[in-house]
Amino acid sequence: MLRIRNATVTFEGHDGRQVHALDRVDLDIEEGAFVVALGASGCGKSTLLNTIAGFLPLSDGSITLNGREIDGPGADRGVVFQKDTLLPWASIIDNVALGLRFAGIPKRARRERARELLGLVGLADFAESHPHELSGGMRQRVGIARALATEPDILLMDEPFGALDSLTREQMQELLVSVWHRTGKRIFFITHSIEEALFLGTRLIVMSPRPGRVVARYELDFVKRYVETGDVRGIHLDPAFAALREEIRQILHSDHHQGIAA
Amino acid sequence: MTTLELDRHDPDVRPARRARAAVVRMRGLGMSGRPTLAISVVTAGAILAAWWAATALQLTPSLFLPRPSEVIHQFVLVYKNGYAGASLGAHIGASLLRIGTASLLAIATAIPIGLAMGLNRWVKGILDTPIEFYWPLPPLAYLPLMIIWLGIGEASKIALLFLAMFAPICLSAQAGVRSVSLERANAARALGASRWQLFLHIVLPSALPEILTGIRIAFGVGWSTLVAAELIASTRGIGYLIMSAAQFLATDVVFVGIAIISLCAFGFGLAVRLAERWLVPWKGRD
Repeated sequence: MLRIRNATVTFEGHDGRQVHALDRVDLDIEEGAFVVALGASGCGKSTLLNTIAGFLPLSDGSITLNGREIDGPGADRGVVFQKDTLLPWASIIDNVALGLRFAGIPKRARRERARELLGLVGLADFAESHPHELSGGMRQRVGIARALATEPDILLMDEPFGALDSLTREQMQELLVSVWHRTGKRIFFITHSIEEALFLGTRLIVMSPRPGRVVARYELDFVKRYVETGDVRGIHLDPAFAALREEIRQILHSDHHQGIAA
Repeated sequence: MTTLELDRHDPDVRPARRARAAVVRMRGLGMSGRPTLAISVVTAGAILAAWWAATALQLTPSLFLPRPSEVIHQFVLVYKNGYAGASLGAHIGASLLRIGTASLLAIATAIPIGLAMGLNRWVKGILDTPIEFYWPLPPLAYLPLMIIWLGIGEASKIALLFLAMFAPICLSAQAGVRSVSLERANAARALGASRWQLFLHIVLPSALPEILTGIRIAFGVGWSTLVAAELIASTRGIGYLIMSAAQFLATDVVFVGIAIISLCAFGFGLAVRLAERWLVPWKGRD
């Protein structure tokens, strides 16, 4: 269980004033959950992810993973970034095996494991290529395989498809759902796309800026339906899907207008 | 006229009649990576031809500008008989030994020190002062000091070259550390990298392209410093050979010396570029 209690982050802004990036957030992410954080930029969703990853300490509150307090990054939490962070000098398979190399796994064993994961994300044929030979979507798939290699307890994804074109983005969403379904990994996923959030999440938190906080929570079952039926269009055209989309758009817009007024 | 009209109005008529379509590319900035080798070779040929023509027409006295054939003849003579008390091989060997020793010392010390300065506040704070103080100085300004402290022998020249080559490599290693993105470092940490692994697998390879650029610059500085040092205080070396020849107004031998330096410097530059191709083939595709 990943347990977030009263998570609060205060930065010092450029003008010396305090910025409340994250204000008393509570969240539980249990085994197998797919939690999506949705919000406009500045709502604290990336801050929240950075605290879970251990890149950023909390000002107040606590985050525990399986009962252990998080203090710093570790291989028990895999991270996929928006900008791919593959090493340009290493082949794809060595990039995927990087975490296993850090863990001291012998070369043959780690390459074997990396090869399996490349198969999982559909890139088995590109094992010996280098990152610059791959498209943006393919690189993000490598990033997912790399994050899964060390068998993390949770996958943290910071707008991983934000820089992709919409067609590739949809393919990546479906691929991610299949990876999630097959590995049973819990995922914490950040996006500013309402459709993406509704399609992917078993749970959705809507966040709002100044101070960054959770303003709405939803339990969703669209992704489970997709896993059962494989019918993407049917889900997007479902009136319930459309109604939720409008409801969430209202929430985000009212915040936005308040922000402009203030 | 009529065909033009057709082309414009009928979308089904493709311009297939054109014998071959031109291959186009995006208009770039500057030379945008197009090859320049042919232009360079032609320029070199033109300069040689101008030299040859100027001497063949005797536009200048041979004392100022010797004929190409004279220079080649002198080269053979110097190669056979030596010059200024030593064989040509001894002169070249002395110069190469100095720059070789100094560059090895500089590379071996400047890379770790530069990396440490890029990574650690204390190392940076302490070493910044002496390095920032000495490196803008022209090496010849402190050559007299080197001679007073270390004598007229090899030590003073190698120390001078070492100091001249140390700074560019050290500064480039620091810049290399700065070029590591926080995301790349964080990604490695999230994959379980220890501090040492982060350094070995992320920081060092990320900094390598900058370091190699620094080494190239260091060799440029090294050659100019070397020859200058040999002009002033030496009994061997290409710089000394040029100086001796100049005292006897043997312009053709000066030309021989200059050609040798230029060949050596070009060779070193080529070696570093080959090292770049071998060590950092990903450079520019990042």
